[in-house]
Amino acid sequence: MTTKRGALYLARLAMVVLVATACSMSSTSQGGGGGTGAMRTSMSEPAGAGNDWMTYHGSYQSWHYSPLTEINPDNIKRLQVAWVHHPGRSTRGLQSMPLVADGVLYYTGSYSRVWALDAATGKPIWSYFPKLNDDLVAAQTHSPYTRGIALGQGKVFVGTVDGRLIALDMKTGRPAWDTKLVNSEKLTVGFTGAPLFVKDKVIIGSQGGEWPGRGPIFGVDAASGRKVWEFLTVAGTEESKKTWGNDSWRTGGGGGWMAGGYDAESNTVWWGTGNPAPLYDWAGFEWKTTGPRPGDNLFTTAVIALDPDNGRLKFYHQELPHDAWDFDSAVGEFVMLERDGKKLVVHPNKGGHVFVYDRKDASIVNVWQLTKHINFVKSIDPKTGALIGRRDLPLGKHTNLCPAIAGGMSWNSGAYSPKTGLYYKIGQEWCMDLEVIKTTPVLEPQAQLDIGANFKLRNPEGDKAHGHLSARDPVTGAKKWEVMFPEPPLASLLATGGNLVFVPDPRGMLRAYDAQSGKEVWSHNNGIGHNGGIISFAAKGKQYIAVATGWGSLVGDEFGELFGEPYKSMPKDAGAIVVFTLE
Amino acid sequence: MIRILALTVALSLGPAVAWAQDRAAEAAQIFASTCGFCHQDGGRAAGRGPKLAGTDRPDDYLLNRIRVGKEGAMPAFGRAFSEAQLRALVVYIRSLKDDAR
Ligand code: HEC
Repeated sequence: MTTKRGALYLARLAMVVLVATACSMSSTSQGGGGGTGAMRTSMSEPAGAGNDWMTYHGSYQSWHYSPLTEINPDNIKRLQVAWVHHPGRSTRGLQSMPLVADGVLYYTGSYSRVWALDAATGKPIWSYFPKLNDDLVAAQTHSPYTRGIALGQGKVFVGTVDGRLIALDMKTGRPAWDTKLVNSEKLTVGFTGAPLFVKDKVIIGSQGGEWPGRGPIFGVDAASGRKVWEFLTVAGTEESKKTWGNDSWRTGGGGGWMAGGYDAESNTVWWGTGNPAPLYDWAGFEWKTTGPRPGDNLFTTAVIALDPDNGRLKFYHQELPHDAWDFDSAVGEFVMLERDGKKLVVHPNKGGHVFVYDRKDASIVNVWQLTKHINFVKSIDPKTGALIGRRDLPLGKHTNLCPAIAGGMSWNSGAYSPKTGLYYKIGQEWCMDLEVIKTTPVLEPQAQLDIGANFKLRNPEGDKAHGHLSARDPVTGAKKWEVMFPEPPLASLLATGGNLVFVPDPRGMLRAYDAQSGKEVWSHNNGIGHNGGIISFAAKGKQYIAVATGWGSLVGDEFGELFGEPYKSMPKDAGAIVVFTLE
Repeated sequence: MIRILALTVALSLGPAVAWAQDRAAEAAQIFASTCGFCHQDGGRAAGRGPKLAGTDRPDDYLLNRIRVGKEGAMPAFGRAFSEAQLRALVVYIRSLKDDAR
């Protein structure tokens, strides 16, 4: 029954893609207009344009770095709150990354509400609250948060949990177009991640993972809102279909729910994909031939390189073939740098390893381990990326699987400073016991989570669950310094040219460290946990730091039971943008 | 078992024990795919959501919570599952042994 319908759907989809591609060919060289040129330059400069923060990861190179130097370890004692903005209805906290262009701060929050504020004073310029399908918002698990926006062609782009991508005029906030891309009513997932603006396209990935769909990534014409291409992260090519036994690609999961990076030199978009569904696999060791999804399950838990013009796959590396642990590659950080004349990209995998690739073909340069407690594999071969000693989990009970489902790393980003040459990243140490259970995917009338296990988080053997910030060589993983946290910080990090690293922590403290030594030089209590982005920018000649506050992500939801207070009583419906400057 | 039966009758799901057992198995499966993500250890322990074993809420309350969810905390499942499946989930929850007691 589902098979027939699936085939029909696919045929229709193929036609849509064909038509869309054909249309796009006649309008390829539009681009331009409305200051796009300037914008493109500032985003592709590794250090960002300086005054602005134009794209989710700070620049296409995912450094989360601001070259501004006004605030530094010597004067940071004078760093004080300049202004605060409360968006209201911050359900699950403010999880997003603000952007700044020409003295205006733009941000989105829960329910994809978008604000434009004077970046120096916080004075509202405009706001836009989209009408969402409320029933759908209520029925979704990954809801109602939105993690960011993109800027380009004089527009602000934002995705919605009900499967739309909306473009707003940067000056007025008036919608320019509103395109429905995902059948969220049926698939129960939409967009939570930020889009990425590249050339003349807006690229955004749907959720997927343990949701039985095919997790598409879309390329949309920035001028008109027309869908130009769609890449299916589950069996997006004929060849990859063979890695899904018994037609299991129909309910494969995947997705690409965080914005990736862009290598302008080779015109390549790098994107990370989600895990396959069901999340756990009762076939255990026999996953190659039996179970719910026999085979490698391409392109789930992989990094993929796409041509932004047509969505074609250039090359890929599957970080975990047949992921059976939810240690996906959806982390959007693709830190681009050069070492010994080689152009590299560094990508953290949720399982706790960091992959270093050659940018020309995603061949492995190195793989290093960021977190201590890992036993889902014995190791990962640093030369080939092959998994050594996988711990597959057949039907039944298993104890002390590390890391826990929340991963050794979460979706928020680390930071890289070209001044210190160090990569700053949070690691999470926790494990869990589980019982793998055979399930059937629920597809009608509305797709449902397909986990396939009952589990319980726990302390690692002989240790306590905790987190850490470390400063490392991004290529070798060599550790320069480390700071321990009783609970893993869940927000993004920021590095600045003023030799600072900022860590918004889960208890509510925003902390700053000397980027060279790791010494804490400043802290401020924001009064609620952090769960989103942090940036630096300059407006009217002054440097500012802007951080999103608010608690209640799905990972954060585990903290109350695991760590007790202050998390047990921490509100999950509040959050604000707090902006700092030197007094 | 007595508890399951009692509840089955109370919810007028019909008297056939075998039928109830099938439903219970299905409910356990649904739970492991869709609910266990937040209600840990099959509902026996707290995690993202509360522990369900031994809850002192009345059946109507549980049914309603599963149906309408709670925004920002738990999804609404009223459209996803049939009335019989929703009731079977309540039966499943009632059948959980509460170790802490
Ligand atoms: C995304 C996380 C999540 C998922 C998935 C989820 N729940 Fe919940 N559930 C919660 C939270 C959080 C609460 C507490 C809500 C509140 O504050 O009343 C809750 C409360 C409940 C309650 C009320 C318990 C009581 O004693 O008050 C029941 C019953 C329940 N859930 C059943 C289910 C069932 C059955 C499913 C699967 C069909 C499910 N839940 C899926 C998070 C979740």
